[in-house]
Amino acid sequence: MSSAANKLDSIIEQFAELEPRERLELLLEFAEGLPPLPPRFQAERDRSDHRVHECQTAVFLWVEVIDRRVQIYAEVAPEAPTVQGFVGILVEAFCGASHDEVLAAPADLLQRLGLVESLGMVRMRGLQAIFTRVRREVAVAAAAE
Amino acid sequence: MAKYAFPEVLVSTTWVDEHRNDPGVRLVEADEDVLLYSQGHIAGAVRLDWHTDLQNQTVRDFLDKPHFEKLMNAKGIAHDTSVVFYGDKNNWWACYAFWVFKLFGHEKCFIMDGGRKRWELDNRPLVRDPEPHYSPTEYHAKEPDLSIRAFRDEVHRHQRSGKPLVDVRSPGEYTGQLLHMPDYPQEGALRGGHIPGALNIPWAKAANEDGTFRSAKELEALYLKQHGLKRRSRVVAYCRIGERSSHTWFVLHYLLGFPQVKNYDGSWTEWGNAVGLPIERGEQPAPAETIPEPAVESVGGTA
Repeated sequence: MSSAANKLDSIIEQFAELEPRERLELLLEFAEGLPPLPPRFQAERDRSDHRVHECQTAVFLWVEVIDRRVQIYAEVAPEAPTVQGFVGILVEAFCGASHDEVLAAPADLLQRLGLVESLGMVRMRGLQAIFTRVRREVAVAAAAE
Repeated sequence: MAKYAFPEVLVSTTWVDEHRNDPGVRLVEADEDVLLYSQGHIAGAVRLDWHTDLQNQTVRDFLDKPHFEKLMNAKGIAHDTSVVFYGDKNNWWACYAFWVFKLFGHEKCFIMDGGRKRWELDNRPLVRDPEPHYSPTEYHAKEPDLSIRAFRDEVHRHQRSGKPLVDVRSPGEYTGQLLHMPDYPQEGALRGGHIPGALNIPWAKAANEDGTFRSAKELEALYLKQHGLKRRSRVVAYCRIGERSSHTWFVLHYLLGFPQVKNYDGSWTEWGNAVGLPIERGEQPAPAETIPEPAVESVGGTA
């Protein structure tokens, strides 16, 4: 069974092997691979609290836990491909995982991906906020299930 | 009719489209989001990243003169090259790069008004080609021009003597409220607030929806009338690390004609952490002349 830990580890490994500039190319692939927001969420997008306010970019997140499996849906402003890329990594790593696996993901994920070197500390704040938000929503959704 | 003080530093998207292949012109894209250039840029433009290209990686400072020269050589920029900066977010990082180039004395610097957004709204083409390489140059930079850069002690003297400071961050950052919000990412400062006496004029108020600069008349209304800045006064602008304030520096000097504007790049991440420097919290006090008279009905007490 492919656990979230395995998927995430393999993504971390892919990034770690690359030079900082090449990491950006891989991040761009994740940005362009982020699935579009399913139509059922679009109506509630603008009138809900799904926006990650801690992030300067417009990022909308929905986290569901059904039968103990996590699903993440997201929309990120097209002018922010870096944020799209990071959300793409989280979606790829965590969709279908159990909530325990998501909550066990390393808190220093951004460092492990080597993105601090490629992007600089200042750009980490918004991304860290998104990661924190995903983990928090997974915990809340899991508790409600 | 009010006009920009130095309108020649702005070029339109149309001008860029017509001149982008001129050998004496170099387009430089500088973005907040590092992936945008890879996703599409104006054909022929080189990329500058404020973090990886313009910063010294071991001292908190800009790159030094030899590194700036090396960067110019690598990007094929000579002394007489007309460098046209453009980027995302109302040209925020384009203005920052413009400022760094001015620091090292590059003469012909221009901003493409409206940046990427205006270019895209015009439906002009972007290409995904790798960054082009131009013949290397032999650039000799000037010593840093400190008339546009303010350091901490100087800002402290400026503040104590009551000269104008413009804090261009958001109201939440200015009041200090943002650092205290739960779950908010670390702002990189120990205390929230602003330099005592600073005005709060968020940088993006100088831009239109399409990323272009507001008209001279609108800028005068904002900075001179609403906030009471005087053109003749020396102004220091700051934000968190000096990025957004380089946009305001550009507006005050090149568009409104303030002769002496400095960008304090140490900004809040230095001031809010420094030992012995005073801070102030809360909202900006209303200018004296606009404080409303007490209503007649309330004249009962002696407050």
